[in-house]
This record gives sequence, structure tokens and C-alpha cells, in this order.
Amino acid sequence: METEIYGSPSFAYVDAKLDPGETIICESDAMSTMAAELDLKAKFNGGFFSGLCKKFLGGESLFVNEYTNNTDYPLGITLTQSTPGDITAYEVGAGQSICLQPGAYICSTPEVKLKVRWAGLVSGISREGFFKLKAQGPGTVWFGSYGGLVEKEIDGEYIVDTSHLVAYEPQMKLKLQLAGGIFSSFFGGEGLVTRVEGTGKIWIQTRSISGLAGWINPRLY
Amino acid sequence: MDTQIDNGPGAASAFIQLAPGETITSESGAMIAMNGCQISTTTHKRKSGNIFGGLKRMLGGESFFMNHYTAYNEGGEVWLATTLAGDMAEVNVEAGTKIVVQSGSYVASEDGVEVNLDWQGFKSLFAKEGLFWINLSGSGKAIINSFGAIYTIDCDGEYIVDTGHIVAFEETLSFKLSKAGKSWLSSILGGEGLVCKFSGTGRIWVQSHHASNFGHSLGPLLRPRKQ
Repeated sequence: METEIYGSPSFAYVDAKLDPGETIICESDAMSTMAAELDLKAKFNGGFFSGLCKKFLGGESLFVNEYTNNTDYPLGITLTQSTPGDITAYEVGAGQSICLQPGAYICSTPEVKLKVRWAGLVSGISREGFFKLKAQGPGTVWFGSYGGLVEKEIDGEYIVDTSHLVAYEPQMKLKLQLAGGIFSSFFGGEGLVTRVEGTGKIWIQTRSISGLAGWINPRLY
Repeated sequence: MDTQIDNGPGAASAFIQLAPGETITSESGAMIAMNGCQISTTTHKRKSGNIFGGLKRMLGGESFFMNHYTAYNEGGEVWLATTLAGDMAEVNVEAGTKIVVQSGSYVASEDGVEVNLDWQGFKSLFAKEGLFWINLSGSGKAIINSFGAIYTIDCDGEYIVDTGHIVAFEETLSFKLSKAGKSWLSSILGGEGLVCKFSGTGRIWVQSHHASNFGHSLGPLLRPRKQ
């Protein structure tokens, strides 16, 4: 499979060429163009109940699509996300996994297993989602952001504004805290933030949908 | 006419340099800066058409009026841009071929290009493209815009483009609404629903994102409308 990400950083999309016999798994409605000879199978996202969990709790779709090349020549497909932003490909080793925030997942190679995990009460209260998606390797996972995507190596702890965390390696722990004292949290506009502890990588998005909605709402009438 | 498109794919703008006496026609509201040009506003192309052309264009999602920028003796420059974030691309309209452009994606064109309303059938409604299209014929360059990055696909045979992602296509191609893959159930459950299947030989301009999909992820967070 040859894949390339074009349109970065504002309108990124994944351009993939599937070799004969290859399959790619992606979330609902991710396909924007494809060769007419590709086969599409919609499957429950990891099984019926698992799929239901992922839809209502993990912010993902109930169904995933499997696009398979059943011909004997390479066929192309492009996959995209609903928000304008960046996409990155992450190689997950065997036995390793990556945690994705709700809505970040776009597509993956077929051996990657997608699981829903409890993210913690605080995570839900801070509107980061009660559940997170854990993608277990081996394989490649593509996830995207609203806005630009920043990759950061953490050693110790790091503070990320709520609604800006996209993905993190599973050994990291997330805690919620106030941005500053009571005064700066309320008036500084930051409110609650997520404290990420551990050693590993995290991915941050430079824009947030709730931020945009918050900007639009007072201007609506 | 020399065109340079900068700041794509997120915030594209077109910088056009005109030789003395050259004219470029654009939809109203597209100009952000200019120098050394004279603007005239009409409801039709300068040498042909009439007021009905303007009315037809409104149906096509374009503006009623069109602006014509004509460079003075030292040549002129015009900067064009659009409201939504996205990309712009230059297409070459060649004599004998026509390019069908999604309503709302047309930005500007040279003098030699005819801009008319096009009808692709009621299927356009289901293709989330709007009922009317813009038809470019004649010869010259035209500029189109999109929500998302623009990329081209050269179709030879059949190709599938998801509804809402078509920006423009050559008229040698025809499209019909179809399912993605072999079964209707998979297509609907898989969230794709109806897709556009192009057949023939020609070029398709596709946008990577879809404004409605972005709107749907933003919509639930916005305040409900007061009745």
C-alpha cells in the first residue's frame, strides 16, 4: 500500500494506492474519491456492542468501512475528515497501542484493532469524552485534527488546554486541573486544563471546534 | 493574463497580472485589491448576453452582477479571493470542450470564456451539489475555488467521487448516482450513501473536504435558532 498525505496543514487528505488483495479500514464517510472497482463492506466497528459503545461513548461511527482491492492491478482511494486540519500517520508496533481522542481516528491498516477504553470520570466531565479509542498494532493508524497538528515528546508533565489534545501514547496519565488560581481560571479564559504525566509522545491540535462554536454563538443574533 | 495562486490550500488567493487592455471577468465581491484597472459592472459578459444571463446565474448560485476589470495602458493587477477557507485552481478551457463547474465554485475567467447556466438533471440535488451548474465554454483560462484542497483525477473508464466533493469536470464525462462498492446496504451503513460514478474520459476537479460535513460537526455546538 502506498500512502501520501496531501493538502497539509489546512485541508489534509490521505491518498492511498491499494495493491491487489489489500484492504484499508476507515471510519464512516471518510472516502472522498475512489476507483470504481474497489469493493466496500460496512462492518460493525469491532462487533455490534463494541460498535455501539464506540458510537455513543467514543465519538466514532457504529460502522467501519473496509475497502478491498479484488482486482489484479493497483487502485486508488482518497480519505478525508470532516474538519479542516492536518493528518498524520502513526506506525504502531506489535503489542503497542496509541490512545485517540473521540473523533480523531480516520483510517488504519486491517491488522490494527480498535478498542474503546474508559478514559476516567474527570476526562468526561471536562468534555474530553468518557471513553477513548485505543488502536492496537501492528499496523498504521491515520488520525487528524481540527487545525494544525503538533507532536511533542514529554518527560515529566505537560499541560494541554481541554479540547486541544488529539492523541497520546498509552502509558501517559491524564489529570484535570484548573489552569491557574481561581481568578485566572475564570477570567483568563482557560478554565480547566489537562495535565499529561509520563514519558512519551502527545499530539496537540491548534484549533478547537468548541472554541469556534464559542466564538460564533454570541454573534448569532 | 498571468495568474499566481498563493496561500493554498487553506486560504488561497489569486494574483492576476493583466496586459494593457486585457480584461478579466469575475463574480461580484471577489476582488480584494487591485491597481491600474477600470471596473465595470454588468449583468452579462461584455460582448454578449443580456440581463437574463444574470438571472440565470443567480439560480446557479453565483451573483447577479459580474465585474469586468480592464487594465489601463501600463497593465494592471487584481487580487481575487473568496469567503470560505479553501483552495483555488486555474483551469484551461479549450475550444471544443466544455467544463462544468459546481455552482458557487466559479470565481473568474478570461474574456474568451463563456459563462452559462448548466443543468445536469435532478440527480444533482441528491449529489449535494445544488440543482444548477455553471458551464464554461470557449477558450481561455478560468479560476475556480473550493472548500478543501483541490486535486485532479484523470478518469479513463469509471471513477467514484463522494457526493459534495465535485468542484468541476470536463463535459466529456457523465455521472450518475450510484452506490459505493457492490451492495446498497454497505454503502448506506458505511456512511457513504449515494456517490457519483463518473464514466468516460476526462478530468475531474475534486475538493478534499465538504462544507456541510464541517457544518454538521460544528452545528450541535451552536445555539438553537429562536423561532
